[in-house]
Amino acid sequence: MEEWSTLLNGSSLDCPRVKTVGTFAGNSCSFGNDVENGADRDKHKERSLFYNLFPVYLKDNCSKGSLLPLPVLVNGHQLDLYKLFSIVKEKGGYTVVSKKRLWGSVTQELDLNLKVCPCVKLVYDKYLNDFERWLKQILEENILKRGNSGCDGDCKWLPLDVEKEFRGLLCPNLREKDGDELVKSESNKIEKDTDLVNSVNCKTDINLLETKDQNNKSEGVQHKDDDNGEKFFNGVKVDPTTLGAEGAEKKSKSRKRKHKREPLSGMIIWMKHIAKYPLDPLTQPIPKPSRWKAYKGQDFFGQFLRTREALSQRQHQESNSGLPSLQKQKMHPAMYEDHASLGRHATEKVRCCKRLPPSVMCKSRNENRLTGSLHMEVEKCSLKKTTKTLDILTAKAISEPYGSGSLEKQVSVGPRFQVEVPEWTGVVSESESKWLGTLTWPLKHDSGRTTKTDLGKGRHKCSCEFHGSVPCVRFHIAENRMNLKLDLGSVFYQWGFDGMGEEVSFQWTTEEKKKFKDIMSSNVPPQNKCFWSNPSKYLPNKTRKNLVSYYFNVFLIHLRSYQNRVTPKNVDSDDDEGQFGSVGDSFGMEAVKGPGDTILECSLSEQCTDVDYWGRHN
Amino acid sequence: MGMKEESSTEEGGASLASVGADAKKRRVTYFYEPSIGDYYYGQGHPMKPHRIRMAHNLIVHYSLHRRMEINRPFPASPDDIRRFHSDDYVRFLSSVSPDTLLDSRHLKRFNVGEDCPVFDGLFDFCQASAGGSIGAAVKLNRGDADIAINWAGGLHHAKKSEASGFCYVNDIVLGILELLKLHKRVLYVDIDVHHGDGVEEAFYTTDRVMTVSFHKFGDFFPGTGHIKDIGVGSGKNYAVNVPLNDGMDDESFRGLFRPIIQKVMEVYQPEAVVLQCGADSLSGDRLGCFNLSVRGHADCLRFLRSFNVPLMVLGGGGYTIRNVARCWCYETAVAVGVEPDNKLPYNEYYEYFGPDYTLYVDPSNMENLNTPKDMEKIRNMLLEQISRLPHVPGVPFQTMPPTLEVPEEEEEDMDRRPKLRKWDGEDYDSDPDEDGKAISRDIVDDMEEEKPEVYPSSCC
Repeated sequence: MEEWSTLLNGSSLDCPRVKTVGTFAGNSCSFGNDVENGADRDKHKERSLFYNLFPVYLKDNCSKGSLLPLPVLVNGHQLDLYKLFSIVKEKGGYTVVSKKRLWGSVTQELDLNLKVCPCVKLVYDKYLNDFERWLKQILEENILKRGNSGCDGDCKWLPLDVEKEFRGLLCPNLREKDGDELVKSESNKIEKDTDLVNSVNCKTDINLLETKDQNNKSEGVQHKDDDNGEKFFNGVKVDPTTLGAEGAEKKSKSRKRKHKREPLSGMIIWMKHIAKYPLDPLTQPIPKPSRWKAYKGQDFFGQFLRTREALSQRQHQESNSGLPSLQKQKMHPAMYEDHASLGRHATEKVRCCKRLPPSVMCKSRNENRLTGSLHMEVEKCSLKKTTKTLDILTAKAISEPYGSGSLEKQVSVGPRFQVEVPEWTGVVSESESKWLGTLTWPLKHDSGRTTKTDLGKGRHKCSCEFHGSVPCVRFHIAENRMNLKLDLGSVFYQWGFDGMGEEVSFQWTTEEKKKFKDIMSSNVPPQNKCFWSNPSKYLPNKTRKNLVSYYFNVFLIHLRSYQNRVTPKNVDSDDDEGQFGSVGDSFGMEAVKGPGDTILECSLSEQCTDVDYWGRHN
Repeated sequence: MGMKEESSTEEGGASLASVGADAKKRRVTYFYEPSIGDYYYGQGHPMKPHRIRMAHNLIVHYSLHRRMEINRPFPASPDDIRRFHSDDYVRFLSSVSPDTLLDSRHLKRFNVGEDCPVFDGLFDFCQASAGGSIGAAVKLNRGDADIAINWAGGLHHAKKSEASGFCYVNDIVLGILELLKLHKRVLYVDIDVHHGDGVEEAFYTTDRVMTVSFHKFGDFFPGTGHIKDIGVGSGKNYAVNVPLNDGMDDESFRGLFRPIIQKVMEVYQPEAVVLQCGADSLSGDRLGCFNLSVRGHADCLRFLRSFNVPLMVLGGGGYTIRNVARCWCYETAVAVGVEPDNKLPYNEYYEYFGPDYTLYVDPSNMENLNTPKDMEKIRNMLLEQISRLPHVPGVPFQTMPPTLEVPEEEEEDMDRRPKLRKWDGEDYDSDPDEDGKAISRDIVDDMEEEKPEVYPSSCC
């Protein structure tokens, strides 16, 4: 950022964003006067369209933090962005201009000193290049969505009212300011044929982006999608009447235009309000999620539910239809870079927690707010400004999540995501032998033992007096362990068997064990948490590793032996965040120990004879 | 298949009772880092590397190590990890520790924090996991083994420059890259309950790796894996996603897995296969929502093993640790061709497996939300997608009998289904001796030079 301002001879660019957008809208008017070349009407319209679109773009993209907002000042002069944009377009676009080294002449055409030539290029690069891509994408996607081929290069003209409507749609500022009035006036026009909308698109497409390759591309894409588009719309099984308004509005642009939108915008405003001010009391309380299915109210919430249902139905339809993914077609190779950033954006948004199911996750985050999945959606909206972009003619609208149910993440494509896979040449490159690691098994001298027949063998039947009791089990474990030690030799230690099982506790004093148990069983999770973040405070002689080892090898085994014998219907080895309840309770421990520690000691000390015993009896 | 309490312990242990090609043993290599169980993601975190130690413990107590070669992995260096991951991400991972002052920008940028915490020894853990998978690949490349196992691997969510879903370094991608040095086409199969998004994304635009993921889809981490995500560019159609719903049981899973994999093996003819065996698709997983039994889960391995293509077997998710240990122990047994006893031998972690102390996890009675109709739809759609793949160049395509329907055989018979497309089992003696090595070298040569002969038509 710093460099950037220095480059521009110290002119300050650090305007607050909101202000920027405002200022900018003003610009569009003042620029109206100094249009060059006889103020041709088309140009004029183009210009105002440009200045209407640009703030939308800024607003859309500034949130990504990837771009500095305007105003742009070059060498103290205010740069006419539209002019710059159109000059570069005329000359064939950024790449061509750069290649042919035409930036000098661009600067001249802008009536600027040649000295600022690099700045001009930079400005274009920084602001307009991305904007152009953004625009392209939106237009392409709209064409895709519409699947209508009824436009050609001739539709340069445009009925004024349509344009107004178009602009209204494009500029959320306007909408927000004028509120309901505008919504109403729009809804009157909404019955307009989709063809008109298309012509709007094509018009912008051609006027604003007229470079050869763009033309080809949009044609190609359009062509490709012709039949898909149709199927796609047929596939939408949303019944508008049940919605009271077109439910698919949020996602499907053309649907939106075919029906009245008024009631739904009310609902959206209502949702937006909840998103913005979640703690505000609602005039009408939202029923419990279990009642949602049966909810028949005609209020905003009722609408919301129906919309939600319609959307999820539609998604279902889409996912079950045999059509190739619409999303995939958005990914024109030329847009990989741009798409990548979009994709990345999406990734950031959807980064969710793997640990918890989404409903739990959201609840735990916002316990004291609303309930259930409505809340999830609302929260998402507030986070991602979905409601604001809802009505904007942007590509994003289609991929915006509406509750995680309809959340569809796209696979990001670009050099920042894929691994570089070399072409198959047939030439084999050697792998380093270091990767073979250290051979620990088989032992060199072990060849004779492979004839043993204990492969896959389970436990034998035992005839201990208290079969299945803790001492019995401990005894057999010790027995097996001994055998294994003899069998494996040094490998026993190499594989870390010496650090497995309850023997780990031999390195702990009784006092330390007690302390550990007390901390773990304390019903106060914060203390629990503190303990793991700074264990040496509590047990100065133990490293973190010791503690982890003790936890899994001793503590959990104790806990589990208790569970297995006292609460066999409720066993859990995995929830170490929960409370360990009765494990610390003396009654519980008694239950586990049964006959008491004495037997255990006996069996341990009699181990050798017992092994002999088993040897004889098997 | 009824449980035999005392399985036969004839010569070579309770080897698969089946006759035919699949009864042949495979040379199995297994990577194990003894310190793996001491890594701790933090209190309350469901990912517990301790489960790998538990699995190893069971494996050894079942004496399965006798049928394997066991290696301690060489830790992957930052340079090795950079073969997939971006420089700054690797720099971050290799330098970060819980004690260093954490720059919150970094945490956010690399998605480290909540799900993927910075814990003690984080990078060592990643190095061991990645080193094991690369080692497994090298083992297969050298023809030293037919199956290579690394239960510490399979961390399929890690992205090129960000951590995700408890995964930091994508050992799978690194392993596959190593395999690609020698193998023209590699198939990746993922049966974790979560979508294998990291691997899919890494190879989304190439046809040299085909990814097939079976996962819960809808309202579930990580959100990707739509049936219509099929890859782009030259990778188009080389990503297969099988979206499933809650309560998936053995039968339904098998009804999708077998025909789809069969078809992929026919059409794509991979030269090596990587199977991610995430155990969170088992019944009763703390984070998962499927209802697979250990046997149903292992059936995937059994099926892939029957194709006799070099096979890398990796771990992955799995958050009810006792079941993870059970599952991976059983799958190790399947790999080495032993049918282990259901009654667990006494072992250091015996109490974890109570109150039944058995090897197999029985499915619960939860409802299977996958209707036969949905399954059929998905199957047909995907088989259609796979059939759109061009036939492998240089290999005359053999018309295969259609296998759209689920194989009818009883489970006992499934091992008899010979799938020897690669080489003839006749002169393939699997005992880990020098002959085996020599032969498999020849095979490798064959694969490069004379494609047509590599896939004899005598399948099925």
